[in-house]
Amino acid sequence: MPSQQPASLRNIESRAAWGMLAPAMTLLIIFIVVPFFLAFLLSLTNERLIPRPIPTKWTGIRNYIRVLTDPDFWQALRNTFWFTFFIVPVQSSIGLGLALLINRQFKGNHIFRGIYFLPTVVPMVMVAIIWAGLLQAPEGVINGILRQISFDQIGPYDWLHHEWLAMPTIMLMSTWQGVGFQMIIYLAGLQNIPKELYEAARIDGANLWQLFWFITLPLLRNTHIVVLITTTILAFKLFTQVEVLTQGGPLGATNSLVRYIYVAGFQYQKVGLAAAASVIFFLIVLAIALCQHHLIQTDKD
Amino acid sequence: MSKIIHGTYYLLLIIIAFLMLIPLIVMFSTSVKSDEFLILKDLGSMAAFWPGVPEWENYQQILGDPNMPFLRFLLNTLIIVFSIVFLGIGVNSMAAYALSRLKFRGKGLIIATVIALIIIPVESLVIPLLLLVNRLGWIDSYHVQIIPFIAHPFSIFLFYQFFNKIPKSLDDAAKVDGADFLQIYWRIILPMSLPVIVTVAILQGLEFWNSFLWPLMVTRGIEYRPISVALAQFFGRDPKVWGDIMAFTTLASLPLLVVYFVFQRWFIQSAIGSSIKG
Amino acid sequence: MYKKLIFFLIWISLVHSIHAAQTIQVWFHSGKGEERKVLNEQVKRFNQMQQEIHVNLILLPEGSYNDQVNAAALAKDLPDLLDFDGPYIANYVWSGFLRPLDKLVNKEIIEDLLPSIINQGTYPGDGRLYSIGTFDSGLALWGNKQLLKKGGVRIPTSTKDAWNLKEFEEALAKLASTPGVKWPLDLKLNYGRGEWFTYGFSPILQSMGGDLIDRKRWVPSGTLNSKASIEAMGLLQKWVKQGWVVNAASGDNKFYGDKSVGLSWVGHWMWQAHKKGLGDDLVLIPMPRFGSKAVTGMGSWNWGITKKSKHPKLAAKFLEFLLQPEEVLRMANANGAVPARLTSIDQSSLYQKGGPLHLFIEQLKTIAVPRPFHPAYPILTSVYAEAVDHILAGGNVEIELNKAVRKIVEDIEDNDGYPPFGK
Repeated sequence: MPSQQPASLRNIESRAAWGMLAPAMTLLIIFIVVPFFLAFLLSLTNERLIPRPIPTKWTGIRNYIRVLTDPDFWQALRNTFWFTFFIVPVQSSIGLGLALLINRQFKGNHIFRGIYFLPTVVPMVMVAIIWAGLLQAPEGVINGILRQISFDQIGPYDWLHHEWLAMPTIMLMSTWQGVGFQMIIYLAGLQNIPKELYEAARIDGANLWQLFWFITLPLLRNTHIVVLITTTILAFKLFTQVEVLTQGGPLGATNSLVRYIYVAGFQYQKVGLAAAASVIFFLIVLAIALCQHHLIQTDKD
Repeated sequence: MSKIIHGTYYLLLIIIAFLMLIPLIVMFSTSVKSDEFLILKDLGSMAAFWPGVPEWENYQQILGDPNMPFLRFLLNTLIIVFSIVFLGIGVNSMAAYALSRLKFRGKGLIIATVIALIIIPVESLVIPLLLLVNRLGWIDSYHVQIIPFIAHPFSIFLFYQFFNKIPKSLDDAAKVDGADFLQIYWRIILPMSLPVIVTVAILQGLEFWNSFLWPLMVTRGIEYRPISVALAQFFGRDPKVWGDIMAFTTLASLPLLVVYFVFQRWFIQSAIGSSIKG
Repeated sequence: MYKKLIFFLIWISLVHSIHAAQTIQVWFHSGKGEERKVLNEQVKRFNQMQQEIHVNLILLPEGSYNDQVNAAALAKDLPDLLDFDGPYIANYVWSGFLRPLDKLVNKEIIEDLLPSIINQGTYPGDGRLYSIGTFDSGLALWGNKQLLKKGGVRIPTSTKDAWNLKEFEEALAKLASTPGVKWPLDLKLNYGRGEWFTYGFSPILQSMGGDLIDRKRWVPSGTLNSKASIEAMGLLQKWVKQGWVVNAASGDNKFYGDKSVGLSWVGHWMWQAHKKGLGDDLVLIPMPRFGSKAVTGMGSWNWGITKKSKHPKLAAKFLEFLLQPEEVLRMANANGAVPARLTSIDQSSLYQKGGPLHLFIEQLKTIAVPRPFHPAYPILTSVYAEAVDHILAGGNVEIELNKAVRKIVEDIEDNDGYPPFGK
C-alpha cells in the first residue's frame, strides 16, 4: 500500500500542474503557435486579406521568390539591420554611462534617475509626435537651436524628409525614448557588484578607469547579455515611429521589415506575400538569437 | 572630491536631465499657446521652451471635439491595458508556479518552448493572427486587443526565475498543514512575489500602452480604438494645428506620467532591473 | 384588469413598431470641415423630417479610409451605405461589396445626373450603375492674377487656349524671377503620399500619351513604364529640382495665405480657402497641354449601398434625399465641387455659364479622364503614389515606374487576372 501513495500523489501533482498550466498554454498555442504555422501555410498561397470571388490557390514558393527579388524588401532589411546595429551598442553604452553616473550616493540622485527614465514612460506614438514638432523644417526647435549656436551657418535641415538624415534622426529619437530601459537594467547590475571588490582594488592602487575596466565591466557580464538580447529584439520590431513620422520615406530610407509586412499584408492585402516576409523575418530573428547565444556560450568557455 | 569635480559632475547631470526634458517641455509649452501663428514662430526659437501665460483653449477644443472623444480613447486604453496586466499576472504566474514547483512529465520541454517563444516578435505574426481573430469574429472589440496578449512568455519566464529562488521548505511546511498546490500558490508564493508582480505589471503595461500596429489593424471606429491610434490619426489630419496636437499629446501622456511619479520608486529602484537582469 | 393590461401591451407594441425607425448605418470619410458640417446637418434634417428611417452617421478618418473599409469587409461588418473614392468602385463591386443602384434609385434622378457621374459610377464588368456621387471634382490651376501679371504671364481662360508645355515652363521660370514670388508652383505636396498623387498627377501621364494601365488589355507594362510616362514623370521631377515647387514641409497656405506662390495645382475643394485668401486676384486656369492634348482628373467621393445591407431601399431613400437638387447644391456650395445634377448646375451661381468655376464643367465635358476602372485600382493607386513620392524625392524615374509596374503585375497575377477583366 505505501508504494502506491507516491504514485497517486505524483498523479495529483501532475494533474495540478497541467491544470495550472492550461490557461497560459492554451493561449500561447492559439495566439502564437497556431499563427506561426499559419504563416508558413499562407506563405505558400495567393490568399488575399478580404473575401473575393475566386478561390485561393497554392502557389509554391512564388511568394518567397517575389520577396527575395523585391528591392524594397532588401532595403527594409538593410534599414532594420542598420537601425539595430546602431541602437544596440549606442543605447547600451549610454544606458551604462547613465547608470554609472547616478549609481553613486549623492543628494538628489533619485530626482535625476526619475528624469532619465521619464521618456521611456512616454509611449512611442506620443514621442514621435512631439519630435515631429521639434524637427519641423525650416522652423523647428532643433533647426532653431542649430541656427543660433552656429550663427546661421548650419541648417535648416528637413530632418525627416532628407534621404541621409531621416534614419539617423529616427535612431536619435528612439535612443532618447528607449535609453532609460537599459539604464535601469544596468543600475540593478551595478548594485549587485560587491563594494568590497572596489575597495580591495583601490588599496592595490587601481585608478577609476582600471576599476571600470577590470571590475565593473566583467562583473556585469550577465547584465550585458540581457541588455544585448532585449535591445536587439526591441530594435528589430521598429515600426511605430517610422509609420507615424515618415511612412518609410523618403525614398524608402526609413522603411522597416515590420512596416514592409504591414504594408504588404494589410494595405496591399497580399497575405501570401506578407506571410512569406514574416517567415523570413522570423528566421532572421532566430538566427540572430542563436548567434548571440553561441557567442555567449563560447565567451563562457 | 574636489569642489570643481563635484561641480562639473552636477553640471553634467543637469545637462543630461535637460536633454531628457526638452521635448516634454516643448510639448507642454506649445500646448498652452492658442495662437497658431505664434506657435510656428516660437517653434523656431528659444521661445518654444517658454509657455508664456498659459491659455487652455486647445485643451477645451480637444476635450470638446465630438469626432475625437479623447476620454473615450483614454478609457479604451485603460480597459485594455488593465485587463491584460491583471489577467496576465494570474495566468502567467500560475503557469510559472507549475513549471517551477511541480513535477510532471514534459516539464523540460515546456520550459524550453516558453523561452524559445520569447524571441518570436508578435509583429511577425500579425497577418495570420488577423485572419485568425477574424474567423473568431473578434474584429473591432476590446477582447481582440486583450485575449491574444494575456499569456506572455517573457512574463512567465520572469515569474519562473523568481519562484525558483523562493525556498522549497516553505511549500513543504504548508503541505504538512494540508494545503493543496493552488493554496500554496495563492497563500504563500504570490504574497512573497510583489517585486516580480510589479515588474511584470510595469513591463507588460508599458508594452501594451505602447501598442500601435495591432489596434491599427483591428479597430475601426471610436468605440474600441485606443489612444495611441487615435492620436496618430489626429496627428495625420491636415493642416496640422500644433497647439491642438500638443494638447492632445500632453493629455494622452498625462495618465502614465502621473502613475510614474506616484510609483516612481517601483519603476526605477531595482524592482525592474533585479528581476530582469537574470 | 388583466385584459386591459394585455390591450395596453399590444397598443404599446403597435405604437412602438410604427414609430420605431429602422436604423441605417452610414459611413463617411471625414475630410474637409465644410463637407462634414453640411452632411451632419443633412442627416439631422433627414432624421427629423420622417419617422421611418434613422440615419446613424459614422465619420472615419480619410487617411486610412480604404483600410477601414477593407477591415470591415474582412469582418463582414460593412454599413448599409458608405462613400468611397470613385475609382475604388471596380474593386468593391468585383469583391462583392456593393449592389446595383439602377433599380433602387429613382430613374428621374439618374437621368438628371452629370454624364461624368454616371460614367464614374458604372462598373464595366456588367455595365450597371453601382455608385453615385453628389458632386464631381474639378482639377485645374489656380492663379494669383496680381503675381501672374507682374511676371508678364499670359492667362488662358478656356481649354482652347490652354498653355502648352513650353509656355507652362516659361510661366514658371518667369514667376520664379518675379519679386514677391517665393515659389512659382504649389503641387500640394503637403498632402503626402496618397490618392492626391494619383488624382493630381496621372493627368500629366495621360496628357503626354502614357497612362497608369493599358485600358484595353489591362496590363501596366509598356504603359505605366512607357517612354511617354517616364518623360511625364521626369517633368514633375524637373520642376521640383528647379526649386519651382512648394516643398511638403511648408504647409498648406503658401498660395492663399502668404500669397507667395503664383500657381496652385489643386482641385475644387480649395475654392473657399482660395477665394477667401485672394478675393478678386483669384483666377482659374485650364490644365495645360503637356503633350498632344490637355487632360484633367475627374470623379470624387461616391455613395454605394452594400450587398449585405438589410435595408437597401431605406438606404436608397437617404441617398435620394442627398441627391435632391437643393441638397446637392448645398454641398457643392460648401466644398466648391461640381454639383452632380444638371438642374443644380443651372441653379449654381458658381458653375452656371459665366460663373467663376464654370471652367470645371467645360473641362469635365471635354478633357476629363477617369482613373482606371479595374479591380486592381487600390494597389495601382498606392504603388503609383509611392512611385511619385520617390520621384519627387529624386529617385530614378524609370526604376520607380518599373517597380510600380512589377507590383501591379504581381497583384493581377495573384488574383488570376481578376476575371472577367483582362480576358
